[in-house]
Amino acid sequence: MENIESTGWGRTLRSNSFELEPHSLEELQDYVGTHESPRGVIAHGLRRSYGDSSLNIGGISVNTAFLSDITFQPETHLVTAGAGVSISTLERASLARRLFPPVVPGTGFVSIGGAIAADIHGKSHHTTGSFSSCVKRIRLLYADGEIHDLFPEGPSADHFWATVGGLGLTGMIIEADLQLIQMQEASVQVEETRVNNLEEMLTLLSASDRNFQHTVAWIDLSGDFRGRGVVGKGNYVTQALAPKATSRVNIKESASLPFPNIGGISFINKYTVRAFNEMWFRKPLTKGISSIDSFMHPLDRIQNWNRIYGRRGFIQYQFVVPEGNEDFLAHVLATMKELGAASFLGVLKRFGEGSPAPLSFPKPGWTLALDIPPHLGNLEPALNSLDSQLCAREGRIYLVKDARLKPEFVPIMYPRLEEWRVIRNNMDPCGMWQSDQSRRLKLC
Amino acid sequence: MLNAFHSPQSVALIGATSEIGHSILKALPHGNLEKCFVVARDPKRAAKSLAEILPNRTELTKVSFHAEKTQSHKIIVDRLFAQGDLDIAIIAIGVLGNNPDLDEAANALEVMNVNYVASAHLLLLIAERMKLQGHGQIEIISSFAQTRPRVDNFVYGSSKAGLDFLARGLNDELEGTGVSICILRPGFVRTRMTRFMPEAPFTVNSDAVGVLAVKLLKSGESVGYAPTILKWVALIFTLLPTNIFRKISNRK
Repeated sequence: MENIESTGWGRTLRSNSFELEPHSLEELQDYVGTHESPRGVIAHGLRRSYGDSSLNIGGISVNTAFLSDITFQPETHLVTAGAGVSISTLERASLARRLFPPVVPGTGFVSIGGAIAADIHGKSHHTTGSFSSCVKRIRLLYADGEIHDLFPEGPSADHFWATVGGLGLTGMIIEADLQLIQMQEASVQVEETRVNNLEEMLTLLSASDRNFQHTVAWIDLSGDFRGRGVVGKGNYVTQALAPKATSRVNIKESASLPFPNIGGISFINKYTVRAFNEMWFRKPLTKGISSIDSFMHPLDRIQNWNRIYGRRGFIQYQFVVPEGNEDFLAHVLATMKELGAASFLGVLKRFGEGSPAPLSFPKPGWTLALDIPPHLGNLEPALNSLDSQLCAREGRIYLVKDARLKPEFVPIMYPRLEEWRVIRNNMDPCGMWQSDQSRRLKLC
Repeated sequence: MLNAFHSPQSVALIGATSEIGHSILKALPHGNLEKCFVVARDPKRAAKSLAEILPNRTELTKVSFHAEKTQSHKIIVDRLFAQGDLDIAIIAIGVLGNNPDLDEAANALEVMNVNYVASAHLLLLIAERMKLQGHGQIEIISSFAQTRPRVDNFVYGSSKAGLDFLARGLNDELEGTGVSICILRPGFVRTRMTRFMPEAPFTVNSDAVGVLAVKLLKSGESVGYAPTILKWVALIFTLLPTNIFRKISNRK
C-alpha cells in the first residue's frame, strides 16, 4: 500500500494515509476481516467532502473506484449502483433509459457511497427530500468482513438509517438500490429572476417552492452584502413543453474546462469577487429550456475550480436554520461584511422535511452555503460565534462540508448523536471505521 | 487534529517556563485547543502562567521533567501520547550557559546536555511517535547563533547548531510521513534569561518571536528567523571572510 497525501475539496486539511485499491470485493473482505490498526479504515470516493470526512491520517483509505457496476431493473425503475459510481455517470446511464435520480447535488462528481454517507441534497429538496429518499437498499461491508443488505424498513432499519448520513463510520457501502424517476426529456424548463435584497429572495424562494420542482438562489456576498442575487427555478421538461423534442434524449457529458494548476496562487480577493459577482448579477437571465447537466451542475463546467483559492484552500460554511430565524441569515451577511469575507459562491435554499437518519443534515428551514478563504483575520472566532448562535436557534452545520467545527457543538446541533453512537458501536464495536473528522469531532 | 485554521486540539510545551514557549502558545490559534501538556521542571508554576494565556476550556496537564535526565524522556513522551493524538510539540528547553558559578568546561557540558542532547533526544522520540499517528508538527527553538561561531557564544551556538543540523536531517527523513519539523532561529530576544546582557542589533521581544513561530508552523516552511531580516544577515555572516567576521562579531 502506498502512503499518499490527500486533501478534502476545500484543500485546507492535508492527510497522509495508506491507500488501499482492492481489485475485488473478496480481497477487500479479507483485508477488512483481518485488519487490526489503531488508526482504522475509511472509504473514499471522489473526495468531494470539503473537510476531513474522507481523510484518515496514518490509517487506511479504501478507494471505492472498483465498485463501478450499474444494473437496471427496467420494470421497477430501480437501479443497482456500485458505491464508486459517480452521480454524473449514473445520470448519463439513466437518461439513456429515460430515467433520472430524483435527488442530485450541485456537482455530478459525487460517488453513490459518498451521496449516502452524507445524505446529500439538491435543488429539489423541498419536493423530494434528501438522497436517502430514493435509496431502497444498501449493501454494507461490516468491520468483521461480513456483508449485509440493509433496508429502510424492517429489522435492519436502524443500521440503514445510521449508515445514511453516517459519514462512512458504520461500515463501507458496497452498492445501493436507487429508485429512479421517469423522464421524458433530458432538460429543465428554467426561469431565473433577479432580486435586490435578502427579503425579496426569501419571499420568492418560498413562493416558488409551490410551483417548481427545483429552486435555488445565488446570493451576492460582496459589496454591501444586502443579499441581492438570482433565484433559479426549474421543472423537468415534459413532451408537452418541448415541441421539438427528439426521440432520443441528449446524454452527452457537458464539456468542461480544466482550471490550471498555477503554483497555489489565489485569485480570490475583494476586487476579483466584486467584479465577478457584479457580472454574475447582471448576466442575462435564463428563461427557457436548459440541459439537465448545466442546470443541475453549473460548477462542473470548470474542473478543479477549488484551485481558484490557491494553496491555502477555502472553508465552506454551510448551515441550516429553522424558518422564523430569517434575521440570522441577515446577521450572517452582516458578519461576512464586517470580516471582509467576500465570496463568489453563496447559495441559499429552503429545505423541506428531513430524513429519519439521526445524522442527516437537512431539516426544514433555510440553508446557506458560502465559501470563504481561511486566512481572514478573526474568521475562526466569528464562525465559532455563529455556531453558538446556531445551536441556540436549533440550527446545524453540514458535517460533510466542515473542517473547523468545535466538537462540543455537535451533540447540540445533532441531538440524536448519542442514539447514532449506540447503533454505530453495535455495528463496529472495535471502532475500525474512523476518519480524521470522527477523531476531530469525537463522533464515535 | 488540526482544523482548517491550523488550530490544534492538543499541544505540548516542553520547557514550559520558557518565555518564547509562552509567546508561541499565546500566538497559536486557541479556538480548537482542548489539551496542553505543560512539561517543565516546575510545571505548577508554568501552568499557572499558561492558564492566563489559554482559554478556560483547555485542560492543562502538568508533567514534571528534568531535561538532563535523558533516561526519563521516553516515559515523558509516552505520557504525551497516552490520551490520543498530539498535534504540535514545541521543544523550548535551553540554557545560555553564562552561570558564573560553574567553571568553563562544566558550563559547556550543561549547555551541550540541555540544548543539544536533551532537545535532540526528545525530538527523535516525539518524531517517532508522531510517525505512528501519521501527523504532527514539532517546533524547535534553534538560534541565529548557530550560523557561525562567535567568540562570545560559540558553546551555546555549537549546541544549537547540532540541534539544528539534526532537525534538518530528520525533517528530510520524515518527508511523506505527515510529520514535519519547524526550526525557528531567533536572534537576541528580550527575556528573563538575557536581561543582564547587552542587546544586539535586531533585538526582538518574545511575543514577536511567538508570532513568527506560529507563522512558520502555518507556512509549511522548515526554517524561519526571528526577526525575518536575520535570514539575510545570516547569509552575509556566512559569506564574510574570517578576519572581517571576527572583527565585527566580537562583542566582548
